[in-house]
Amino acid sequence: MMDDSEIRQRFAQLREADQESAPSFAQTYVRTRARRSLRATRRVRALVIATAAAVVIAAIGLAYARSLSPPAATPEIATWRAPSDVLLRIPGSELLGEMPALGASVLDTMIPKPSNRGI
Amino acid sequence: MDEVELKLQLERAHADCFGWAMACCGRDRDDAEEVLQTVYLTVLDGRARYDGRSTFRTWLFGVIRRTAASERRKAWLRGLLLEREVGIEKRGAGILAPNPFAPPDAEVEHESRRDGLSHALGRLAERQREVLQLVFYHDLTVEEAAAVMHVSVGSARTHYARGKANLAAMLGDAKEL
Repeated sequence: MMDDSEIRQRFAQLREADQESAPSFAQTYVRTRARRSLRATRRVRALVIATAAAVVIAAIGLAYARSLSPPAATPEIATWRAPSDVLLRIPGSELLGEMPALGASVLDTMIPKPSNRGI
Repeated sequence: MDEVELKLQLERAHADCFGWAMACCGRDRDDAEEVLQTVYLTVLDGRARYDGRSTFRTWLFGVIRRTAASERRKAWLRGLLLEREVGIEKRGAGILAPNPFAPPDAEVEHESRRDGLSHALGRLAERQREVLQLVFYHDLTVEEAAAVMHVSVGSARTHYARGKANLAAMLGDAKEL
């Protein structure tokens, strides 16, 4: 069985080898800074792409919404009358449009009252 | 702590940090370098802040350990693990090939002892390997190792005892062979 000192010695050899092959701090720091600026560039690029995509999507959405809404000049269906409606009017239709009063003659409405010129 | 002071502290701990990063990355030099760069970036950007509850080195080791674990997960997700294994197999084949510039015998023995330790460490459970590395390689106490590993002192002691016994057995077996 191996004792602590021998294990420690083996680890010391490993540490020595690692330290020989370790990159210098300056080297690592320079690479870190390069990564930092690259990350910042990537972040800006992603932001620009996201903004552009949002603008394009908004424009497409707006155009689509406009294509769906009815034009302003179109009349509403409740007030719309067909041009041929006039053909459906029958003679005396004005008599049917109102309730006749008791004792009144149909002729009162159809014949215009004489003017008071002769009296 | 301002950036100048942070940079100074990082510079002081750099060699040690590299050794710990190597241990956290399965002794892969490239991965260790990348992890170290990520850690420095995290620290310098203020995404990891030293709060003074432990020594700077202990805190930094904890950041390195977490970053390495996170990088490992990312690599696994990307499916790089398979590629790396293929690379290791290729490298292994290279080691077995005869080397015309072979070093002298003493150096060969030195290297084989070192490789034997690396190999034995690789066969240990992760926590056992970590605690042994922190104690024997970085001269931390078991309490400090527990802080780095985010485990209780009792748990660290258990890992330490088991790890040491397993490592001694493995190295002893290798020696007998």
